[in-house]
Amino acid sequence: MSLIHLQDLNKHFKLLNRREGLGGAFRDLFSGNYRTVRAVDGISYDIEAGEIVGYIGPNGAGKSTTIKMMTGILKPTSGAIQVNGRPPYENRIHQAQIMGVVFGQRTQLWWDLPVIESFKILKEIYKVDQKSFDAHLGLFNDLVGLKALYSQQVRTLSLGQRMLCDITASFLHNPQVVFLDEPTIGLDISIKAKMRSVIKELNRTRKTTILLTTHDLGDVEALCQRIIIIDKGKILYDGDIKRVTALFGAYRTLKLQIDGFDHTTIPALRQRLNDRFGAQAGIAVGETEEFWTDVTIDQARTPMADVLSFVISGFAVCDVRIVEISMESVVQQVYDGALR
Amino acid sequence: MNSLRSYLAVLRGSFMVGMIYRFGFLFTILGNVVYMSVVYFLWRSIYGTAETLRGLTFNETFVYVALGSAVFILLKTYADWFISYEIREGIIAIYLTKPVDFQLYALAMSLGSALITLAAITLPTVVMLYVVFRVPIQAGPGLALFPLSLGLAFLISFNFDFFIGVMAFYSESIWGTSITKEIIISVCSGALIPLQFFPQAIQNVLLALPFQAIYYTPLMMVTRPDQGWEVYLPMLGVQLLWAIVTFVVSRLFYNQAVKVVRVAGG
Repeated sequence: MSLIHLQDLNKHFKLLNRREGLGGAFRDLFSGNYRTVRAVDGISYDIEAGEIVGYIGPNGAGKSTTIKMMTGILKPTSGAIQVNGRPPYENRIHQAQIMGVVFGQRTQLWWDLPVIESFKILKEIYKVDQKSFDAHLGLFNDLVGLKALYSQQVRTLSLGQRMLCDITASFLHNPQVVFLDEPTIGLDISIKAKMRSVIKELNRTRKTTILLTTHDLGDVEALCQRIIIIDKGKILYDGDIKRVTALFGAYRTLKLQIDGFDHTTIPALRQRLNDRFGAQAGIAVGETEEFWTDVTIDQARTPMADVLSFVISGFAVCDVRIVEISMESVVQQVYDGALR
Repeated sequence: MNSLRSYLAVLRGSFMVGMIYRFGFLFTILGNVVYMSVVYFLWRSIYGTAETLRGLTFNETFVYVALGSAVFILLKTYADWFISYEIREGIIAIYLTKPVDFQLYALAMSLGSALITLAAITLPTVVMLYVVFRVPIQAGPGLALFPLSLGLAFLISFNFDFFIGVMAFYSESIWGTSITKEIIISVCSGALIPLQFFPQAIQNVLLALPFQAIYYTPLMMVTRPDQGWEVYLPMLGVQLLWAIVTFVVSRLFYNQAVKVVRVAGG
């Protein structure tokens, strides 16, 4: 029996189609014009106890909606969902006891109080005995050195410190499963590294199952053996991380700022690269930020240096950045059949 | 009752939040002193040379109005504001993933900050009435039942606020509703002026509504403490009834709202 079991799970929302302008706003008052958004569209998977699973996808892919269903906040439109053998939206109070949740954008800590007070309140809420409470805080102190923060008001903490405290709080009652929804959003590298080591350590020593959603492929690479990619409510890939890292490990995106950039630049560049390297060279040209041209290169097929020198010789390039492949590009690659 | 401990911890936390803002706490006390002085001179001039107005002596009216404002502030739970904020910002999701009952959690929060108000406003008012204005407060069954009545009044007031707060599930802003509720309660409950000052017909209607159980009942117990148990116990009974009714109604409303959100969206 797996710890988390999803079978053909659906969550559909009805949204009112808003019309433009003031007149439209008035007509919307009486409108029955709804459209259905399939936030989660028939997904199935099982997560075994003790796994760390990376759940990734672009914004609006349905990650948070899935987590809200697993935590019992939302009820599925159809399909089965079970956590520890029970549907989470039934018997919520009992289910809440076996799970911990961190929503990266929000905190469960008391904003105005010293950190330790939030922990004490949670200790009572989850009925944690004093001995395990002390042991838990001791462990976290060993891992990340939180003790110095305990007497600080939560609102005076930096984002990274607060997030470490939030994670401490979510593990306080030794839950069977912890959902981490974007825990590393907006954090710098050193805090990220700390956080990853904490999560890894807890998973190792306590066998806590962890479902991690993130935008940062680095998180997934560092923590997970298994990755589930979701987009537009559907599962694109569910399996070993190795195939995916091999994929985005080989890709790099060259971000170029080209002098005299206009709407003809990208098609022109695409055409010239195609003429020079051929259609099978694994080169994609696009735009994600204004005035930046993105050239994504599969280094297994075409060396980046060749592309760069070719572009510089033909275009008035005034700035260059090289970045790891983005979440959006990974998803695009998967769509294009890279994992089949 | 093991879960009682968790709500006590929440109450304690909420009390501590109030303590952290020391200056707010001190200025509240100061503001109340000024307010009481104004009220004293206002009603002094309204009474002029008259012994009684509508059967109330100056002392009775002053105690009623001064204590009334102290109780009014005490019974302002602000639950409508923080609940609607938490619903709009989606913070409610955090409570829904914890083994707590949100209504009781919110009640514990409100009680915690009410204890601050009790210490900063209600108790100083009583002391001032006694020491500075030298208004005698008579001991009797009314005074004995006053704390109990105040507790029930708090619960009723909270239930109203909780109900309004939960409306945020359906409406983006509850600002207007909340202001309207405040005005209705302050007039209909006898917080602004004693109900005896209303015409008889209106008095009868107001006495049949739940609002009077918030302010009028507890305030009557301290301003007219000379009456016997047979007058106050039925009043307390009515209060208890309203407390239960409003609690159940707001709870059903909350359960329904959460059910709708669970099904319809996040």
